[in-house]
This record gives sequence, structure tokens and C-alpha cells, in this order.
Amino acid sequence: MGITHVCFGLSYLIALGLELAQQAWPSRALRVAGLVFGIAGLVTHTIFIVFHQPSPASAYGSLLLLAWVIAVFYLYASLHERTRAWALFGLPVVLILVGLSALSYGRSENDGSWFAGEHFWGAVHGILVLAASVGITVAFLASVMYLVQSRRLRMKRSPVGGVRLLSLERLETMHRRAINLAFPLLTVGLLLGAVRAPLTGAEAGAWTDAKILGTVGLWLVALLLLVLRYAAHLPPRRLALLTVAAFGLMLVTLIAAHPFAAEGAR
Amino acid sequence: MNLVAVGASFRTADVSVRERVAFTDDQRDAAATELAARYGCEAVLLSTCNRVELYLARPTDGELPDAELLSEFLGQFHNVEPTTIRPILVERRDGDGIRHLFRVAASLDSLIVGEGQIAAQVKGAFEAGLRLGTTGPLLNALFQHAQQAAKRVRTETGLSEGHVSVSSVAVDYVRQVFDHFNDKTVLVIGAGKMGRLTLKHLGELHPRQVLVANRSPERAHEVAAECDGKAVAWEYLDDALVQADIVLSATGAPEPVVTRWTYTDVRHRKAGRTTVILDIAVPRDFDPAIHDGETTFVFNIDDLKNVREQTLARRRAHAERAEQIVEEECRRFIDDWGRRKNGQVIALLTQEFEARRREVLEPLLSRLNGKLTEKDRRDIEGAFRLYQNKLLHGPITALGEASREGGGAGLLEALRRLFRLD
Repeated sequence: MGITHVCFGLSYLIALGLELAQQAWPSRALRVAGLVFGIAGLVTHTIFIVFHQPSPASAYGSLLLLAWVIAVFYLYASLHERTRAWALFGLPVVLILVGLSALSYGRSENDGSWFAGEHFWGAVHGILVLAASVGITVAFLASVMYLVQSRRLRMKRSPVGGVRLLSLERLETMHRRAINLAFPLLTVGLLLGAVRAPLTGAEAGAWTDAKILGTVGLWLVALLLLVLRYAAHLPPRRLALLTVAAFGLMLVTLIAAHPFAAEGAR
Repeated sequence: MNLVAVGASFRTADVSVRERVAFTDDQRDAAATELAARYGCEAVLLSTCNRVELYLARPTDGELPDAELLSEFLGQFHNVEPTTIRPILVERRDGDGIRHLFRVAASLDSLIVGEGQIAAQVKGAFEAGLRLGTTGPLLNALFQHAQQAAKRVRTETGLSEGHVSVSSVAVDYVRQVFDHFNDKTVLVIGAGKMGRLTLKHLGELHPRQVLVANRSPERAHEVAAECDGKAVAWEYLDDALVQADIVLSATGAPEPVVTRWTYTDVRHRKAGRTTVILDIAVPRDFDPAIHDGETTFVFNIDDLKNVREQTLARRRAHAERAEQIVEEECRRFIDDWGRRKNGQVIALLTQEFEARRREVLEPLLSRLNGKLTEKDRRDIEGAFRLYQNKLLHGPITALGEASREGGGAGLLEALRRLFRLD
């Protein structure tokens, strides 16, 4: 199979270019062309995943799977809310994830059997952490859009013209739901990993590995986001800034090699 | 093309004259019927607060009334001296008339370029003509095409984007902050004319409740009754501010009603809830320092007017493209109409040439039967067909050109006579 990261990465990149052109020179043809390239990217991305069956325990796999979910999210949103510039925010994230995945491709474990029956709990752990990552990425997207929208309102810019965004309230709801969902998933995923790790014969030093510390750090940030929202009533703009930082931490964590990957991904 | 558009607008007459020649719906219907009957033509009458225009047409040749006659008609109808009306009337014929209607329908000729009402008013005038039976083939085609042109301008340019009234801009801002309103509280402080208009727009969002605070309890109750809201005693203004998600302030107070310091306590009690304050009072009711762009957004009258100016500037930037679209649609209509009008003559002309070609060619081919190869036969037939097409090309092109230039009736008649097409 000749499909590589370049194929779908390039499709997404062209889709982003067309979306940018669409913002400058609004036209139906550009919008449709952008969607076609986005769909083409998603199709090749899907075929790549089906053939390579990447493990969420590997950096390349987790980033690739996360990119796929965000690509589905952006396309779904673009088709359902045509007037909003979902592609402008979703596609750069997809491209970053695909790019990082491509960079990690050579060094990661990849035997394609991570979901096999004998590693059921490992797969559940991987899926839960991945789902939590999806939540954090969606919260990040909502946060970036929130920051742009709130800046426009702070500067009292015209509500007409420019990139069309959702209302602050809707973006805040999107952020809240994403974090509310990500936190329990991350908690259960981490607990499952902690229970299962000793069974894989992990060495004691593996617990201080960047991946493990990063994931625990991410859990703490997610907890902090919940506390600051519900107990301290921190303004949504500051929560959005913290979420941007959380996304950065998540990327670092995903790129780091999994200390138990050789065992867990087999 | 046989069309005349005669009218007065805000460009040619001030409101004191326009109001004397304006039509109510009933008057418009009566006048259109009278025009169609008196001059034996198709008639549509457009009357808005900014213009009164008469569109008269005949698909065939024949004199149509001019501005002089129509000023007399308007004078009789409205009991106004025709000498008062004639100077404000502008007469546009054929292509100019079409272009004018398309520009009017696309809101390019409006007082506020891009306003959305005029398209509906043009449609209303046309539908009245249809209902009364005063329209015919030309005005039916023309007004339908005008609506298509207006739709193209609306969808392919940003000419109609955004709002330009202060109250609508205020609601636009509110919509940028909030998504749904059935759980929101609107607080109205004071309420002048502008405040009531904005409140009307906010009411269309269907908020959960409307609170009204006024220094005068009677006035508060009066406004509350109008908007199905609840009056709040002035002493409890701070409590109402804590409850409110959207504040509309329009008092006539000479000093700010809410200072930064008084709002600090309110902000604290709101526990991070977002609030939009629309301060449309002059002098301002809210200290501008209250605007933090985080949980509290204050938009005063100047902010709203700035947006209005930005919207108008954006619309002006789209006007050039809109004019191009109007020009394209204008040409398309003239071509289509020309084809429709000339189609019958062109078909007859083609049939005539076809018959003459066969008359000459068939005996010739019979005479040469047996002496020609199949290829020779096809070449001869092709040459005759080419000759026929070359002969037809001139008259057909000339007809098209004449139609585009607004004439063509004389040429049509000449062709009928020259080639005995009847």
C-alpha cells in the first residue's frame, strides 16, 4: 500500500489553504473544493490506519489516531455549520498531529496487534487515554476560538466580517463538556494503567518516565480546570489559557515513548 | 424593448414632496389599474417611503406615456399641481429603465445601500400587478429577472451583510456572547425611544425574564407592562444587575448611574457570570472602565455607531461587484428578451432560407444524379448550407444588436417585408 503520512497530510494542507482562500475571497467553489480535499485526506488517513493498525501506546499511533478523530470532528462540524470557520481551527491541529506522528513513525513500536484479545485491558487503557486526549484537544479548539472571539469583543470589533465563530457561551459549553468528559476517562485510563503496569514486568524506574509523569500532570491540569471552573469560578478566558497549556503538555506526553509500550503494544 | 420607468426618489425630491405623491396599497392598486387601462399597457407601481416609480411597458411597438403625461396622471390622482411633480420625475427608457429597476431591487439605489426591505417592496409591487392583471409578458419577465439579480447580489457579495441600525447592532453583539436566551435575564434601566426600540429587538430573542428599573416607579411599571416584564425598585438596582445577563441602559441621567466602584461589588456577586451591557444613553450610564472583555462587555452608543459605520464601509466596498452583477443581469435580460421577441422572426427567416436552398439544390442534384460520387454530393450540400448560414448571419446578428441597443422594431419590420415572412 503506497499511502503515507504525506498523502493525507498534503490533502489536509491543501484543504486548509483553500479554507484560507475562502476567507479572503468567499466563494462556494472554494468551500466545496476545501471540503473535497478534507474528505480525501480523511479517506486516505482511514485507509492508512486500517492497514497499519497503529497502537495508541506508541507515539506515532496515538498522534495519528487523535488526528483522525479531530479530522472527523472538523469535517462533521464544517458540513453541519457551514458558515463557521471550523477548518481554520481544526485543520492546523490535525496537521500538527499528523506531522508529529510522521516524525515519530520510525522510532515507535508497531506490530499491529495492540487490540488483540489477550491484551484487552491494555487496549482499554489505551482507548480511554486516547478518548481523554480527544476531549482535551476539543477543549483546546474551543479555547482558541474562545480567545479569538473574546479578543474581538474586548476590542469591540464589528460582529460582521472576518472569521465567523460561535458565541462565547457556546464555546464555553463546548469546553466544559469536553473537559467534563476527558477527566473521568483519563482517571479510569490512568488507574487501569497503574493496575496493569506491574503485570507487564515494568521496571521501577519506568514510573518516573516522561510519558507517565506527563499523563499524571495532564490529569492534574484537568482536575485543576474543573476546580477552577466549579469552585473558584475562574473567568472562561483564563480557563481557556490554561487549556492551551494543557494541550501543549498533552502533545509532549503523546510524543514521549511509552515505557511499557514494548509489552503493552505487542 | 418598449419600457418606460418614471419616478421620483429621495435623490430628486425631499420628503415634503415625496409624501404628496406616495401611494397606500389601495391607492397603488387603483392607480396601476387606471394606468394600464388609460394607456393600454402593462403597469407596475412601486411606492415606498423613499421612492414612487411607475413602470410601464408594451411587448409590441407603440407609444408609451412620457414623464410629462405621467406627471399629469400623478397630479390628478393626488390632487397636486403637475408643475410641482414634473421637476422631480426622472424618465428612463428601455435599457436604462431595466438597469434602474435591477439597481433598485438590489438595493444599490437605496438611501442605505444594501438594506433588505426594498427587495420585498419590489416583489410586493410586482405581485400586486400580477393580482390586478396589470402586468404582461414584458413586466412579468422583467420583475422576475430583477428579483433574480437582487438575489445574486445578496448571495454573491457582502452588500447586505450586517445591520446598520443601532438597535440591531446591539443585538448582534449580544448574539456574539450568548447562544440561547431562554435562561437569560434582561435588565432595562430607564427607557427612552431608542431604548424601547432596542428592547423590542431584544424581546425577539425571548429571554427568560425582563426586569425594568427606573427612578420613577410608575414609569418602570409602564415599561414593564409593555414588554411583559417585571418592575424593580430603583433601590434594588444592584440586585437586579447581579441577576441580569444583558443590561440595556438608556436613562437621561447627567451622571453615570453605575460607576466602576459600585460595579466591583456586583461583579463579585455574579461569580464569574458573563454580562453584556448595552449603554445607549448619552451621557453614558455605565463607567467605561467596567468593560473588562473577560466577563463584562460594555458597548456604548459610539461603539454601536462605529460598527454601523464599519458595516456601511464594508457594503460600499461590495458595491462595485454588485454593480457588475447588475450590469451582467441587465445584458442577460435584454439578450433573453431579444431572443424571445426575435425568435419567431428568426425561425421564419431560417425556414424561408431553408426552403429556398432546397428549391435550388434538389433539382440540381437530380440533374447531376449518377455523375457525382457520394462525397461530391455531400460537399455540394455542405457548401449550400454554409452559404445559407452566411447569409443568415448578418440579419440575425443585426437583430440581436438592435435589441441590445433598445431598438429593433424597425429592423424586425424590414425583415418581415423584405423576405415576405408573414
